[in-house]
Amino acid sequence: MGLRKFSLRAFLKKNFDFITGILSEAGLTVLIMGIAIAICLLLVFIKSVI
Amino acid sequence: MILPLEREDLKVIGYNLRNICYLVAALLFLPIAVAVVCGEFDTVPYFLIGSAIGIILGCILSFSLYTKREMELKHAIVMAALAWLIAPLLASIPIWLANATASYIDASFESISGFTGTGLTLAVDIDHLPHSINFLRHFLQFAGDGIGIIVISLSILGRTEMGSVLAFKGEAKEIGIRPSIVRTSRIIIGIAVTFLVIGTVLFTAAGIREGLDFGTSVFDGLNHSMTAYATGGFSTHSQSLLYYQSIWFEVVAMVLMIMGALNFNLHYAVLGGKRREILKNIEVRLLLFGLVTSGLLISTNLLFANMYPTTEALFRKGVFHAVSAQTTTGFQTVYPFHFMLMWPVFSMVLLSIAMIIGGCANSTSGGIKMVRIGVLLKSLGREIKRALLPRSAVMTGTFHNIDDIPLTDKIVRSAALMAMSYLILFSVGAVITAAYGYSLEDSMFETASALGNVGLSCGITSPSMPAGLKVMYMFLMWAGRLEIIAVLVLFGFVIFGLRKGVRR
Repeated sequence: MGLRKFSLRAFLKKNFDFITGILSEAGLTVLIMGIAIAICLLLVFIKSVI
Repeated sequence: MILPLEREDLKVIGYNLRNICYLVAALLFLPIAVAVVCGEFDTVPYFLIGSAIGIILGCILSFSLYTKREMELKHAIVMAALAWLIAPLLASIPIWLANATASYIDASFESISGFTGTGLTLAVDIDHLPHSINFLRHFLQFAGDGIGIIVISLSILGRTEMGSVLAFKGEAKEIGIRPSIVRTSRIIIGIAVTFLVIGTVLFTAAGIREGLDFGTSVFDGLNHSMTAYATGGFSTHSQSLLYYQSIWFEVVAMVLMIMGALNFNLHYAVLGGKRREILKNIEVRLLLFGLVTSGLLISTNLLFANMYPTTEALFRKGVFHAVSAQTTTGFQTVYPFHFMLMWPVFSMVLLSIAMIIGGCANSTSGGIKMVRIGVLLKSLGREIKRALLPRSAVMTGTFHNIDDIPLTDKIVRSAALMAMSYLILFSVGAVITAAYGYSLEDSMFETASALGNVGLSCGITSPSMPAGLKVMYMFLMWAGRLEIIAVLVLFGFVIFGLRKGVRR
């Protein structure tokens, strides 16, 4: 009964702010780790050149 | 003029402490469920004994110190300072009875390290501890530092009253998410549980991917999720995350550590729809800058010291420890003695600085906190500008932390006082550790770790360390969690009471 009434669209609409908020925070961590990996790559490249 | 201490003051503090005793007694029932599920029935009496002592102590306080008087700020601060001593001492009883540590003082150390979210451990043979005891260690970090014992007690037992607001202040949390303190407490718990669930799922998936069986993956995932979000750093293995040799575990841990180091108010704003706040907030900007700078400098140092030659190794050792130190978590992917014997001094000092600075205010992390560093930097900039501008120029300034907050002298003074007292305590701790025969950089590292509630260890913290150092680190963990001021107020309270006496 409960499942038949469940609407993904309504769920996403109701929790839009929460879901996008979690994704924003995940984006922040991805940004930090992306920068960190780029730095490590660059450092190894610089050392190999030197 | 300071009013003389009255007997009623002591009654207010003691009576309000009863809630903490009841709370710890209740919290000790959760590991019993784990013991039953895992078939460890021999550990159940240990938790029951701890719980019974908590209830008896609560009843004694409740009946002997009953008072109708409302709590004032001085009572709240002293109560918070005492709560953070009584709760760990009660929770250490099952750890001691289960022989998880060599002595009661070690069990108390373990419990204080748990409650304060530090992660330095004196437990013996962690890998073979009963699951229920191991769960208790991790749960203490989640309940104590991830949420806050006073937050939990207010959410369950508290009422919307002035005393509750003051109790928050005493616990070094100045949170104003909602007008109702009980509602605020429940929001904090809701945010913590959300990240706990997300973290457990991710850690479990990482565990299954690395070949662990489902049960172990869930147990380790739940425990590491609790300690990663709480920026606590306890692990189910003596080698910490090094045990898994898994980049997936380390990436999930890094995500949760950063989440734990963010301000509760920021979580609430962002999850409530204010997504742009994440880019405007002074603390997030400084945290981002701190993580990238310390990661860059440590990785460069390690690479040119020929420690870790590949990109992956630099990321998993250099960047990981930069994140672990800055967020004050304390997960390690190297052996403690690697820090002491192999890591360059420059990297050790950088990690120590990161541990001293710490994460965001009103988060689960320790240290001086980003917002205070931001305030001091802004104030420094303002002073430089003031020197360059004409004398008649009027200087104003603001910083953005959820709202635009004016940079007043009161805020600057408060940040400077906290930073100064923190650095004094750090210096004293490092000198005393060095007096025991350890090198200065190792002493600075371990002291910064204890005071900042971090948990990274270069090997000084072990069951065989001198008892004096154990007691000092327990004090540093306690003082660091309470951001020092509450401890000073408690000392002032005791000294004032001893000098002037207590009026009836």
